[in-house]
Amino acid sequence: MRSTPDGELARALEELRKSGVAVIEGVLSTREARDARAALVAAARESERRGAATFMPELDPNDANVRVFNLLDLHAIFRDVIVHPVALALVRGLLGEHFAISNFTANIARPGSRSMSIHSDQALVAPEPWLAPWSMNVIWCLDDVTAENGGTLYLPGSQRFTQRAALPSDPLAQMRPFTAPCGSIVAMDGRVWHTSGANVTRDAERALLFGYYSVDFLRPQTNFNVNLSDATKAQLSPELFTLLGLGPSGNTRVAGEVLGERPRPPEARA
Amino acid sequence: MNAKRKLGFGALADAEAPGAAARAACGELASLPLPAPVRDVAAALRDLRELGVCVIADALAPVPLARARDAMYRAAEDDRTRGRAQHGFALDVDERNRRVWNLLNRDPIFCDLAEHPLAIELVRATLGWPALLSNISGNITGPGAAAGVLHADQIFVPEPWCAAPQGMNVAWCIDDFTRENGATEVVVGSHRWSRLPTEADAHVRTVPAEAPAGSAIAFESRIWHRTGANTTRDRTRAAVFPFYTTPIYRTQENWFLSLSPGVVNAASDTLLTLLAYKSEGFGLVYGRSPR
Repeated sequence: MRSTPDGELARALEELRKSGVAVIEGVLSTREARDARAALVAAARESERRGAATFMPELDPNDANVRVFNLLDLHAIFRDVIVHPVALALVRGLLGEHFAISNFTANIARPGSRSMSIHSDQALVAPEPWLAPWSMNVIWCLDDVTAENGGTLYLPGSQRFTQRAALPSDPLAQMRPFTAPCGSIVAMDGRVWHTSGANVTRDAERALLFGYYSVDFLRPQTNFNVNLSDATKAQLSPELFTLLGLGPSGNTRVAGEVLGERPRPPEARA
Repeated sequence: MNAKRKLGFGALADAEAPGAAARAACGELASLPLPAPVRDVAAALRDLRELGVCVIADALAPVPLARARDAMYRAAEDDRTRGRAQHGFALDVDERNRRVWNLLNRDPIFCDLAEHPLAIELVRATLGWPALLSNISGNITGPGAAAGVLHADQIFVPEPWCAAPQGMNVAWCIDDFTRENGATEVVVGSHRWSRLPTEADAHVRTVPAEAPAGSAIAFESRIWHRTGANTTRDRTRAAVFPFYTTPIYRTQENWFLSLSPGVVNAASDTLLTLLAYKSEGFGLVYGRSPR
């Protein structure tokens, strides 16, 4: 995975603050993107074998949108991607030092998949007013993302909406799709109103990975304590162990001590 | 305040200066009088809404009270003899108070307190359901202990705060709470100021939440409070402090790390909900709730 020059990061952060979304191209090489895509297809199969449906009727109008959860437990490649230095630099730039990994999921839009309902990730959980970013997505493009194959539709500048009443009456009319070549990452402020695009192509699939990060006082969307197997936990770096909320540190960093013990770093347990 | 500084919400620096308007509107900061003890939930909820604090008399019957008291002092003694940390909590200023952590592992009576029907009724009405148990700890004040640091429990929520409380405490008096033995000092009505106290507020007038053992003292998370000074020569004052939040916040204690498996296996559905073992949507584990 290539490193990204500081100037490019600074430009992306500026764009992220201005429009709520920023694209950095070429973070994954063609080959890395192909490997990640193959891992995703295998992960989808394995996840179904373990009992998880890839169709979520509460999220998507039909089963052409394939959802894969718990990527971190399904393939080692995703454990590298979630802490990719470019992704974490964007997260630190927007959310600050105290953040957690909230979720890591994938969405493969197959031809015929349709939009979910318009939402902002932050508005789904946090009470108004929304005055600061409390979460963000770092989206990994494993295919070229186009307006036709389900590029995420977003409302530019909507990260400045502090309450629901600020939404225009027909937000969809003002939304535009982000487009990015395979191997790009797209950062999106958690306050940005968006929806998945419809895939109106005949035969082009569009696979995206959604690394979702939040300020560390928010409960992560998924509970990694129970979602990750012991074998996976044993392989985590100390950094990832902490970012996944597996240690004793709670949201205030003043309570939550584990009785008579210091947190056990993963290497001490392996 | 130390705890606040530790939070370091760097990313929020460009939000408005928090609480300035609220501070100007407060004028002379002082507590309203402590509400009289009540015996029914409707009255408790009225006090909670209007004053941010309520006192419920005889909330705990003598038998469970005695059991909780035995269990609390036994746990504190176990910690002492086994060399486990009892001091050094960020909101204490000296080493005379003893904090007892991981109460749910110590005795089932503390699970009963966490999901006591009265507490759940207050939590449901104030925070909605599901709610989470963020933390449950014991605090035994010791003779000579100074007052703690004035704070509000939703210390982790960046200011300016939204219009509703994000958490609440339902404290159980295991010993009598008196002005002399370290009764929790509260600033009744401070929830309306909707901000954290600053160092400049350290001398705000508080009232001791005096109440007999077996009472419950509930206060929502915007209420300013601190551990009272224990000016007695030989009295301790034990209490259990379960802190609940709306389900969007990360719990202060990582239950999945710290709870004994036996406690989880024996837990009721209500307790499992409070401990975040019941999940849906994104929280499912390969399509199923963990419990």
